[in-house]
Amino acid sequence: MKRIALVVGLLWSIGMSMTAALAAEGVSYEKAADMLYQVMSANREVYTRVVVQRLSVDEEILVASEHFEDDAGLPLPSQMFRFVAEAVLDNTENFSYSLLSLHPINKKNGPATDLERQGLEHVADNPGENFYGQEELGGERYFSAVYPDYAVVEACVQCHNNHKDSPRRDLSVGEVMGGVVIRFPMD
Amino acid sequence: MQAVLGLTLLGAAYVVVTMTVAGDRRMLLSGETTHAHHQLEMACETCHGRSVFADAKAAQKALNKNCRKCHEDELKAAKDSHSRKRFRNPRMAEYWDKLDARQCTPCHIEHRPEITRESAVTVAMDFCVACHSQGEQDIRTTRASHAGLGFETCATAGCHNFHDNRALFEDFLLGHAGQPEPTRPAVHGLTARYRARPVSTDKALQPGDAVAPPDALAEPGALQHWAGSGHARAGVNCTACHAADAAKDAPSSQALAHWIDAPPMRVCMECHKPQAKTFVLGRHGMRQHPGIAKPRDLPGWMGRWLGDPGLPVRMTVGEARLPMRADAHPAMAVDCASCHTEHALDTAHAALEACASCHDDAHTRSYFDSPHHVLWQREQAGEAPPGSSVSCASCHMPKLEHRKKVRTTHNQNDNLRPNEKMIRSVCLDCHSLGFSLEALADPKLIRNNFTGPPGVRVHSIDWAIARSRNPEAPED
Repeated sequence: MKRIALVVGLLWSIGMSMTAALAAEGVSYEKAADMLYQVMSANREVYTRVVVQRLSVDEEILVASEHFEDDAGLPLPSQMFRFVAEAVLDNTENFSYSLLSLHPINKKNGPATDLERQGLEHVADNPGENFYGQEELGGERYFSAVYPDYAVVEACVQCHNNHKDSPRRDLSVGEVMGGVVIRFPMD
Repeated sequence: MQAVLGLTLLGAAYVVVTMTVAGDRRMLLSGETTHAHHQLEMACETCHGRSVFADAKAAQKALNKNCRKCHEDELKAAKDSHSRKRFRNPRMAEYWDKLDARQCTPCHIEHRPEITRESAVTVAMDFCVACHSQGEQDIRTTRASHAGLGFETCATAGCHNFHDNRALFEDFLLGHAGQPEPTRPAVHGLTARYRARPVSTDKALQPGDAVAPPDALAEPGALQHWAGSGHARAGVNCTACHAADAAKDAPSSQALAHWIDAPPMRVCMECHKPQAKTFVLGRHGMRQHPGIAKPRDLPGWMGRWLGDPGLPVRMTVGEARLPMRADAHPAMAVDCASCHTEHALDTAHAALEACASCHDDAHTRSYFDSPHHVLWQREQAGEAPPGSSVSCASCHMPKLEHRKKVRTTHNQNDNLRPNEKMIRSVCLDCHSLGFSLEALADPKLIRNNFTGPPGVRVHSIDWAIARSRNPEAPED
């Protein structure tokens, strides 16, 4: 027990030191967005693999469904991603993020600003590259970063290609399906 | 001139004192308050906060925050289709100028009876046009079936609601498409389960076990009613309610020292917590909601001198804006005993006769000639199975399941408006979705309490089917 407390304490100290160091040096918007994206991306990957893949595909205990409450199942990874993004907005206005696509199943997840469209087109046309820019929204200046969102497993492709509302039905594994947009207000 | 100035200053001072210190503030109301909120007129701070001198922006922010304090959970449960959190994302900035869904007040302004419509909406009922008539969101181009429809019909034809679309979204319509309307009366599953639950009699008390003062025991009917009640079956003696302040294990003689003839509602609420929790969310009990501002803390003489009317704890029949029966006493306040008869605690009475003893609208009056009432009479006579009948409470205070437990919600407002809220929790237990949508969209049928077939056609299911078969083809 003492050992666990020691490790947790050590990790906490390292985290706090890093935060303090970053705060002291100042972190660029680009760097901060990159770090947030790493956390989001890892969370999504872990939820997909450890929860959805295991319970829904490997062990077939629960279904993963768009209507998970009616079906008493698991939220899809993209839904989980959006729920967390909305929950973050309840807690802070220091940043926001969204999972978007040029070919969204739900139209509300299509590009809403010129920069979003430009960024989504850039990450789709230039695999492996991110997109960074600035835009003015609601009278405020924002730094916006767009990261590619790939079809990582067959389930993503199957669902998107077969959904009645999907405007694109020829997606394949490894292809860019959309993008994650992260925004910071520039005070 | 000096006299006018003096009078003006005096008037201004009176207003400031009334707003900030004490006095009857009803004269400051800028217009009649909407139905339900009128119960809180004397607790201005509930909505407006306590910062009387805040600037307009801060006051507006506080106002909207206070709306959420009472309504946020309800919206969350409704899976709000236009949730605030979605519109707070700066990517939605384009929509903020069209219809700012981050706040409640762009669509719901209080004290404006001349522009207040159904569901307290204070914008024109074609409000969907603000966002769904342009670009990717233009419903007339993305749904061929909607091309010729007027935007004023979106939220008024039984197809869509701004917030609650739990029973109206396309996959739900498709999931229930082709469902035939049952030809024989069905059974409400949760009600049947609740009524058939095993009731233990291990702790049951007999009339001779009653602990009460002699004059209370002699009250006509009281002992007999209690002995036949759920309280006696569960071992709840008279002193549990009438001497609730006595120590739990106090001997009878000591408990009787705490005896009161009319126990306050808090005594009921102490044991019936889930029911109490939902009671304060509905119109009957909303004055006791924890979000309602408490009366101003004034020395008694100041309140009396300045005529500061505190907010009454309970709603009365006389304050209701819905039609009430002439023989319902205006001063009668709504509490547990108003519907659940004292001592007998007759739930059958509470589910129907209690409602009809006050409410006097066409829908209530027509019930007694409706097929629903025939079912009620049959179940009461033991000619039909438990859960097969329909009372006022069956629809407006239905049995709901939470964490595997079935309970009666006492928030009738959650099963009232928009009436599509009732489809999942009530209608679908006995009716098809198609019938339910059309019945709820027919005002005449609602007035006559569903006596006869719907006279309104709702195309939602047909259009959903057509689109699912060929998403790119125009729907018929």
